[in-house]
Amino acid sequence: MNNFGTLLKGEFQRLSKYKIMQAGIGVSLLWVATLFLIGPDDAGMFLPLFVFMDVSLMTVLLIGSGLFYERQENTLKTLLITPTKFSHIIYSKLITAVIIALQSALILGLLGYFFFDVGIQFHYLIAFTVLISFMHAMLGFVFAVLLKDFPSLLASIMLYMIVFAFPSIFYALDILSTTWSYILIISPTHASMLLVELAFGEPVNGWMIVVSIVYLIVITLVFAKWIVFPNYFKKAIED
Amino acid sequence: MSEVIIEVKDLMFTYGKSQVKAVDGLSFKVKKGEIFGLLGPSGAGKSTTQKILTRLLKGYGGTITYLGKDLSAYDNTFYEDIGVGFELPVHFSKLTGEENMAFFSRLYRKQVDVAPLLKRVGLYEDKDKMVGSYSKGMKMRLNFVRALLNDPKVLFLDEVTNGLDPKNARIIKDMIRAFKEQGGTVILTTHLMNDVEELCDNIAFISGGRIKEIATPRELKIKYGKRILDVEYALNGKTKQNTFDLDGLSNNDTFMSILKNHDIETMHSGETSLDDIFIKVTGESIHE
Repeated sequence: MNNFGTLLKGEFQRLSKYKIMQAGIGVSLLWVATLFLIGPDDAGMFLPLFVFMDVSLMTVLLIGSGLFYERQENTLKTLLITPTKFSHIIYSKLITAVIIALQSALILGLLGYFFFDVGIQFHYLIAFTVLISFMHAMLGFVFAVLLKDFPSLLASIMLYMIVFAFPSIFYALDILSTTWSYILIISPTHASMLLVELAFGEPVNGWMIVVSIVYLIVITLVFAKWIVFPNYFKKAIED
Repeated sequence: MSEVIIEVKDLMFTYGKSQVKAVDGLSFKVKKGEIFGLLGPSGAGKSTTQKILTRLLKGYGGTITYLGKDLSAYDNTFYEDIGVGFELPVHFSKLTGEENMAFFSRLYRKQVDVAPLLKRVGLYEDKDKMVGSYSKGMKMRLNFVRALLNDPKVLFLDEVTNGLDPKNARIIKDMIRAFKEQGGTVILTTHLMNDVEELCDNIAFISGGRIKEIATPRELKIKYGKRILDVEYALNGKTKQNTFDLDGLSNNDTFMSILKNHDIETMHSGETSLDDIFIKVTGESIHE
């Protein structure tokens, strides 16, 4: 097995040992229970919202907490003195986060499809989950680079929710009018929300889809090129 | 003449926007099969030097060659050659000792059998326990095993006996000596003079990012020691003390007479300790 495979396997082993994967599955099951409580009439409205929360906010929390654990335990330093490419270390974490997000999205998607008769376009669901969770995993790295400790991470995720996620959730629940859609497009969470809604068969303006996809890709690249790759290892070494 | 493994010339390094140079013009050579000690108090620049030598810090001034080739010309396969023992524990606390070693081991082409190493450092019985439940001493011993996983040619060890009781510190020091005897090279960063005296062939005292003195421990002791001999002996039921020059001692009648006619109680040469030499050389205390 090459080093990338070893790193990926190690990430999954640690996700399990540190109970992060179990926590992720637990949250998905919580959404499942909530959907059954809501009942089939409204489940279709709430399901995209739960998928969105899982693949975006949960991904930031999952990767951010993992990175802070790693900083606390000084394990990144010892990885950096192995014959492993630095980029492989980052990609192994990103891919792990994407796979966990896919697992959650598919659990909820399949539940909606089989139990609540929700029309789901699974190819969109898979593609957009990859894009959204990849962008949010990169955001988790950004937080790890910029923030000092775990409480700061939690506070920043809360702030991100309040500033970006809540308006998108209010919009999805029809609390905000459609005019807001054009304003909210500057929010990465809203771009994510639109793509999730599309996967669940809701009508979304064609150019908004394009803008959302391009926006998420651009943000991911900007985070990667100017914040994560130049600073993540430097910070770990200088700590 | 022994092969030079690492050669450092006029090494400089400054962290970020700091105005102070962490490393300021270091030059030294490390030969194959040698234990080279980098000594100094906290903030002297020794750990920074080690991070540069292990390619963790980039953007340094000066030149470093490893086996005659510029260090910056190596890719990550350089790490197949070296082992690094960090000052702090560097393990996944919710994985067992064995799981930690298995994970890191798989990242190298060359791998050693971990079980004998764990047995040697006294961790074999605890290999299935989570590292989080280990004491600091156990974690430091695991750090040392981690450094040996890829059968390295060069070991970089930072405060390797830190937090170890005398018995376990002895085991680690014996293993370092055995590594050297098998042809391995060691760069030891420490402020513990006992380790230095026991292990190092050459030492560099660093202070303020600069080398203040570089020599063998014996050369330093001769250079900074006093060439005298203090003798305490019994005379009429009382202790008397005399001090003699080492030069021409065999022709000193008083000294010879004391040896012949009195019971010697103590005899000490004016050899100085490395602690004292460090303070003399750098003007700083070695202890944190």
